[in-house]
Parts: sequence; C-alpha cells; structure tokens
Amino acid sequence: MSLRLVRIDDRLIHGQVVASWLRAIGAQRIVIVDDATARDEFLREVLTLAAPEGVPVEVHDVASGAARCSELARTPEPVIVLARSPRTMLALRQAGVPIEIVDVGGMGAGPGRRRLHKTISVSPEEIRELRELEQLGTRVEIQIVADDRPISFRSLDSGN
Amino acid sequence: MRSFRIVIAGHGTLPAALLATAELICGEIGDLAAAGLRPTETPDHYAEELRAAIGHGHRRVLVLCDLLGGTPYNVAAAICRRSSRVVCVAGANLPMVVEAALADGALNDQLIERLLDVGRAGIVETERHRARRVS
Repeated sequence: MSLRLVRIDDRLIHGQVVASWLRAIGAQRIVIVDDATARDEFLREVLTLAAPEGVPVEVHDVASGAARCSELARTPEPVIVLARSPRTMLALRQAGVPIEIVDVGGMGAGPGRRRLHKTISVSPEEIRELRELEQLGTRVEIQIVADDRPISFRSLDSGN
Repeated sequence: MRSFRIVIAGHGTLPAALLATAELICGEIGDLAAAGLRPTETPDHYAEELRAAIGHGHRRVLVLCDLLGGTPYNVAAAICRRSSRVVCVAGANLPMVVEAALADGALNDQLIERLLDVGRAGIVETERHRARRVS
C-alpha cells in the first residue's frame, strides 16, 4: 500500500503539501485527481510547476485517476494523492481504489459551510460524503500538516 | 529531531511574521525565536536582545537574518565572529526558515549548504521557471 497520503485539499498543491508532507512522507510523485484541472491545460501546468523539481505531478480526471491510483497502490513508490473535494474522494473509493485513510487537509470557509475544526469547513453535502467514505471502511482524519496529531472526523461529526 | 536553536533576526515585525507564517506551513515550531529591530532601537540594545534570544550554553544556534548589511545582520555577524557555536546567514526567506525548522540533526556544513541552496532555488521568475521546466 503505497498511497502514503490521500488528501482532500481545495488548494491542491501549496506550501503545506510541498514543505511539510512531501518531506514527511518522502513522496516521489504527486497524483492530482480533479476533473476540472484535468481539462485545463493552463492549470495543469501551474500545478506541475508548483512541485519541487524531481517530483513529477500527474493530473487525472476521476475515471483515469481511479485506474492510476489503484495501479500505484500496488507499487512500493510513495505517492501523494490530492483531490479538491470529498465527492471526488468518494468516487475514487467507489471505483475500488484502496484508501485506508483520507486526510482532510484543506476545505475553506464560505456561504453555507460550517467550521468543523480550525481551518476546515464543510457543507452539509460534504458531511454526507465524508460519512459515506467512513461507511465504506475508509477512516477520515483531519491533519493539516504532518506534525499535527490526526483528529478523527467521527469525533467532530455531531450527527446533524 | 533538530539539535540546534534557530533565531530569526530582522527589521521591524518581519521576524515575528516570518515565524508565524512558517508555523502555518510546518505546524508549531519549537526552539525558534524571533528578534525584530524596532525603528528607535539602538544597535547596542538590539545586540542585548539578540544575545538573549540566542541564549547561553554550548548549543549551536542558527541566526537567519533578513538583509545583508542591515543592523540585525551586522549585530548578528559580530556575535557570530566571537562565538563559534553561532552560525549567521543573511537573505533569509520563507523556504529557508521552513527548511531549517524541519531539519533533522546537527547544524553542520552540509545543512548550511542546503539552506543556501533552498533559499536560492525558491527565487524564480515565472516565465523563466516555466521555460526551464516545461519541455
């Protein structure tokens, strides 16, 4: 199982991922699964250039991302998988990608969203999707940077 | 586990802001102090402040300064000349602070070289960066 970090982060690649997680995990590759980014050549390039030299960035839509993640999960290569939303993560899980833990690392505030923990906010729909991930046997944890202690989603989910 | 202390030295609120910003990226950073030179502060007074931030004892201390030739650097460089346990670097930027904060082990030549490399590697102009990386 080499999907070392499977993370929901609406910023995809940014400082915390590059400085904290890449180092903590020793990841050699970042796989982004995001339909909108996969369609946008400019965004793809910006994200590719945001990673340090020597760390290749792959951008996939959900369909090809599921196949690629399942394939990488069978190799020993340490990989970081990033998706913007619980919905994409749920789609990957439902497509059979083996995901033991989903790390919730970045979900911003906005209208219709409530604060779950520190900088993490969720919409009612996302709460449902995160619960569904747990029902499929994936643990959902909040851990913003690698040095943080992970906090289980279940302990924060009040049930409404 | 990092075995040395870090002090960020610089003008005004920059050191405190650099520390707070690095913590946004790395999480809480232990054994790191910020010493900002206030506009009315004399170099002598700042030297006292910086020496207090560096602390006593025998541990090695990395002083990251914001500007080569500025008072914080000049004061830090003078301390460093007199004390072989203090290493002073100028031109510190956020990548360097993060690299130092997350470093493992001792403050040795290899780490100092890496810090300088990381600091330089983080300075790019988008078009040139793109031309170099995209084939």
